[in-house]
Amino acid sequence: MIEELRKKAEELLKNDTVKVVFGYGEGSVPERTRPVFITKPEDVNKLTWNKYCVYNLTTYLKRQETRKLGKPAIIVKGCDARTIIVLLKECQIKREDVYILGVTCDGVGDPLATKCESCDVHTPRIYDDLVGEKKENKEVPFEERYAELDEYEKLGEKEKWEFWQKQFSKCIKCYACSNMCPLCFCDRCIVEKNQPQWIDSSAHARGNLSWNVTRAYHLAGRCINCEECQRVCPVDIPLNLLNKKLAKEAEKNFDYRPGYSVDDELAMSTYKEEDSQEFFK
Amino acid sequence: MEKLLNKNKFDTLIAGLKKQGYKTVAPKKDNRLVTLEEVQDASEISLDHVITNNSIKEFFFPKTEKILSYTLDKNKVEMEEPKGFAVKSVIFGTRPCDAFSLPVMDKVFNWDCSDKFWVERREAITIVTISCDKSDSYCFCTSVGLAPDAKQGSDVLLTKISNDEYLVETVTEKGENLVKEMESVFSDPPGTPDRQVATVEEKFDLKKIKPWLDDNFEHDVWDEFSNKCIGCGACTFVCPTCHCFDIVDECTMTKGDRVKNWDGCQFTMFTMHTSGHNPRSTQGMRWRQRIMHKFKYYVEKFDSTLCVGCGRCSRVCPADMNISEMLELIETEAGK
Repeated sequence: MIEELRKKAEELLKNDTVKVVFGYGEGSVPERTRPVFITKPEDVNKLTWNKYCVYNLTTYLKRQETRKLGKPAIIVKGCDARTIIVLLKECQIKREDVYILGVTCDGVGDPLATKCESCDVHTPRIYDDLVGEKKENKEVPFEERYAELDEYEKLGEKEKWEFWQKQFSKCIKCYACSNMCPLCFCDRCIVEKNQPQWIDSSAHARGNLSWNVTRAYHLAGRCINCEECQRVCPVDIPLNLLNKKLAKEAEKNFDYRPGYSVDDELAMSTYKEEDSQEFFK
Repeated sequence: MEKLLNKNKFDTLIAGLKKQGYKTVAPKKDNRLVTLEEVQDASEISLDHVITNNSIKEFFFPKTEKILSYTLDKNKVEMEEPKGFAVKSVIFGTRPCDAFSLPVMDKVFNWDCSDKFWVERREAITIVTISCDKSDSYCFCTSVGLAPDAKQGSDVLLTKISNDEYLVETVTEKGENLVKEMESVFSDPPGTPDRQVATVEEKFDLKKIKPWLDDNFEHDVWDEFSNKCIGCGACTFVCPTCHCFDIVDECTMTKGDRVKNWDGCQFTMFTMHTSGHNPRSTQGMRWRQRIMHKFKYYVEKFDSTLCVGCGRCSRVCPADMNISEMLELIETEAGK
């Protein structure tokens, strides 16, 4: 599969279909890979593919440093391809500006990442070219998709509050969560606005609570569960638990899961009279 | 002074420190992290790690700290300074690289004015370091002039000499006083102890770094190396020697707190001017700043490298940027 990927990348660069290939390269230790940006056909052997290719490379579609390299081909797993669908729907990229090099995937991480346990996108749902043998995208039942929340949802209100207080107390406000998130693409984040100061910049209880909750809310009905925020958190806050809870609520209320089809109407920017209004009380 | 400390005396030691009015901070395991935090009991202490996830920095320079409170009245402003922030403590089981970060940072916090929050905590806290008996591929203390059993910055240094025993060496008068205070837990040292110290490979030659930096403010490597950087502050916040901070007022119309918060040079907003101009407008420029500050500017100003080789920045980097790899690259460029 690596060879196929390299060959494809070489071809795309040689015939000038793209200027750069966003892919995975060898990392500083065998258990890690790192993002690589291949601009010359002779460098394609720097590309790799293995179970440590956890990154969602679509985050580099938002960064000016990688944008200026020219039209990219981007290697995406099924989950990452869901991000592309959201980015297209939210007018962040144009379809013709990105060449999607999909890879089929059996799961990444060691141990296997939580997101992979209930994967229903082993084969990306959008691509220009597919590398790897096509796999069936079996539908996973609702309960199974949100099984991660079972223990958490058993907690009472007070216990949940205490749980998050303890978790957020660790936050150092490095913003790795939002910088890594491909869907946190605002030029200026609300946390950087200080007239008025919506969110305290201090990493104290109030500042950490408002930051982490706001971040999660902004992703409700948008997050595609790539788990990158949780992976990169240097203080190990289970951020995906928040994301997943909001995704579940979005699905329950609006029967919507982001990133499955470019024909979908976005949950958060589409008004429907029959939408649940229960939260207005 | 040299002594011997048996692991089975840790209990008595921690209890004894508590009795003497010390707060004890030590490595504690919590899920996937091992962090330096307050412990009540020796059973909470974890010793089976390379290095703690958090650095020693936060005990002297916390991630957020109130430096002033004020109330505004029609005709007057009342200000109140915080008190009681320097608590008599022992940091037990930190690593030599972390301990060394303290004298390095003393220079900047006592430079043009003395930062009382730093200085008073430095006086109140005693550092009992444990030499590293293992390392990982991210460690590079030996490349910045340190060693896994370096003494600089520690008050007392413990070095493993058997599965259960540590050689105790006092480094400062403060350390000597602490050992005297806890005398009953220590015994006489063996004649020729077998020190179990990790090996840390030397990755680059520090002497070659600064001359190259002097000449290469403009160079392609800055952009090339950092194009995967996502611009978060994880590297600077876990770093024991990164010390940039921001001061903000958190206030209502009539009262407020002036707060000092960690800030980091890798954020886009760090150098943003009110005019909208940003002198460090790309990640390459910001990455260059991080390297220049640690290996050139600080050296020129304080005659000291602003990096202790702990490797934390590389371990936590979301995009697997590795600082020692950058320095190896500089060494290669310097040899061209």
